[in-house]
Amino acid sequence: MTEREPPTPNPSPKMREGLQGPNPVFAKSKRGESDQGNWARRLGEALRYGALTIVLILFMVPVYGAIVTAFKTQAEVSAGGYWTIPRSFASENFARVMDPDAGNLGLYLGNSLLLTIPASLLSIGLGTLAGYGLGKYRFRGDGLLFVFIVAGMFLPPQIALIPVFRLMNDIGLYDTLWAVIIIHTAFGIPICTLVMRNFFQVVPNALREAALIDGANEYSIFLRIMLPLTLPALAVLATLQFTWIWNDFLWPFILTQRAESRTIMVGILNLTGQYTVDWGGQAAASLIGSLPTLFIFIFFQRYFIKGLTLGAVKG
Amino acid sequence: MAGVTFNHVSKDFGDLRVVSDLNIEVQDKEFLVFVGPSGCGKSTSLRMLAGLEEITEGEILIGDRVVNNVAPKDRDVAMVFQSYALYPHMTVYDNMAFGLKLRKTPKKVIDERVTEAANELGIGHLLDRRPRQLSGGQRQRVAVGRAIVREPAVFLMDEPLSNLDAKLRVEARSFISRLHQRLETTFIYVTHDQVEAMTMGTRICVLNEGELQQIDSPFNLYHNPHNIFVAGFIGSPSMNFFDATLTESNGSMVVDVGAFSLDVPESKADSFRSHVGMDVICGIRPEDIHDTNYLPQGIIPANLTTNVEVVEQMGNEVIIYLENGGKNFIARTDPRTGASVGNEMGVTFNLDNIHIFDATTEESLSYESKRKEVA
Repeated sequence: MTEREPPTPNPSPKMREGLQGPNPVFAKSKRGESDQGNWARRLGEALRYGALTIVLILFMVPVYGAIVTAFKTQAEVSAGGYWTIPRSFASENFARVMDPDAGNLGLYLGNSLLLTIPASLLSIGLGTLAGYGLGKYRFRGDGLLFVFIVAGMFLPPQIALIPVFRLMNDIGLYDTLWAVIIIHTAFGIPICTLVMRNFFQVVPNALREAALIDGANEYSIFLRIMLPLTLPALAVLATLQFTWIWNDFLWPFILTQRAESRTIMVGILNLTGQYTVDWGGQAAASLIGSLPTLFIFIFFQRYFIKGLTLGAVKG
Repeated sequence: MAGVTFNHVSKDFGDLRVVSDLNIEVQDKEFLVFVGPSGCGKSTSLRMLAGLEEITEGEILIGDRVVNNVAPKDRDVAMVFQSYALYPHMTVYDNMAFGLKLRKTPKKVIDERVTEAANELGIGHLLDRRPRQLSGGQRQRVAVGRAIVREPAVFLMDEPLSNLDAKLRVEARSFISRLHQRLETTFIYVTHDQVEAMTMGTRICVLNEGELQQIDSPFNLYHNPHNIFVAGFIGSPSMNFFDATLTESNGSMVVDVGAFSLDVPESKADSFRSHVGMDVICGIRPEDIHDTNYLPQGIIPANLTTNVEVVEQMGNEVIIYLENGGKNFIARTDPRTGASVGNEMGVTFNLDNIHIFDATTEESLSYESKRKEVA
């Protein structure tokens, strides 16, 4: 969508002189500038939309590929490549991957939920508490503590693979969802703390003080005043954490082994046989696996309200 | 209902002393205004009273109870913040009811009090709105309403009008004064605006750099300032000051400003006699400098010819910037004055209302004697 310029009347030379003053040089140069400005703006828009279109295509190609492949039979995939429109719109791929005796995706979906929901809640919950403490209270060493927590974000998770694997093995959590929940909570806390601390910092102190005088204790201030104000930030974090944990392949792959504790991302990989790749099944499983994140996004989108704190203080 | 006492109260932020040895007794049902320039410690004093800042030294009493270690919620105070601090996610009703709900007040009582206060404040029709849907004036009323429904012993107000435009501010001023009269509760009000202080306070407490300068009624503060700071802070345009020396010969006392000199009326000479031969600062308010052609009756005049530099016609009065012998000063004169820029003008000082301050301590020489007169 482009904004349209309001139609400009084309005044007669006489009128123009009257409107723009008696200096014709000034009038001319101003007109020239605005023509040039229009042209430059249009070129800028064209470039911008061109670039956006290219990016959009790049993003959509894999999705398109997955959708058309999911509805093709194995024979059709082998015969016709990946990009053609499916001839029969077969649903057999979906049935096969959901079948407990074949793909068993139902179990993996359940496992993924059992992992993602508690790990998201825990990391956001702990991050919110830490963020509130660091954002609203001053204490000795608070800056250092904050840097220490946030520094966790800069560690590549891969360097912790072997220590974490051995640790989980030693404490007997290897091959359970608990291991993955714990590791995702730990790796989620830094980003949650960072976001929430920055958010709490801009909530006016006067709100806390007003609540204190109104008779609230620290818990009710946190729960009844601060938390409702941070809903947009919580929604962002919920989406972020859910997507990240749901889509993660590395940790469940390393920390689980049995089918009973397998998550969907590992489950999709398992559709690959030793000599064959079930393209249709993998595409169908990928589509099924991406649905929960899609729902999460749609659900939380409405909480992304800007300026919820508007009206708290002068305005 | 209760009085408030500040007993040798001091407050440090790190090495910085922001309030220093404050001693104030606020009477029950009084409207006390803390006034002073920014950074004078007025808000900090109020916040110590509210329990939002710790007290470094001394003690604060509400009624007979020392509240130094009492939590804000147990001090029986309500506060209106400069920013209003309304809870943005709650409706006007919930904002006002929040404090009562936390105190487990029965729902029926909450309903009654909120509705009554809202109607009184003219926001009864806004109870379902959220703060962001309200205008500045309406928000300010909600903030006041939130304080009223609590029925506290002491109302604290921290510059509650500074975010309103000039017209609303004048309305809100009289509205808060009426509220004080009706509620018959102690009000402690912080402002940097001396007009607000003068119009609303039963007593005013002038602070500067953390120190109490003077606590007095608006009338006394204006007519008998304790020192140069108070004299200059209260009144607009502010008092004219001249560096001067005090001399006495043949029984008549003269303030010698350099460019001109003024005779001190005999009735006032006594209180200044201790400073004869010393450097002093002479203060005279703009309204005590008159156009010689329009003199009020019964003043002790001292005439002077001056150069007119700026004329500000206000309609009901004229503010004139004058110069004589390198001394600049301001007069507030009768609107009929014929003063015009670049011309000379004859002015008359009303020597009855002359103020003389010690040049070192900056304290008024006549403060004590005038205070006794009033008493």
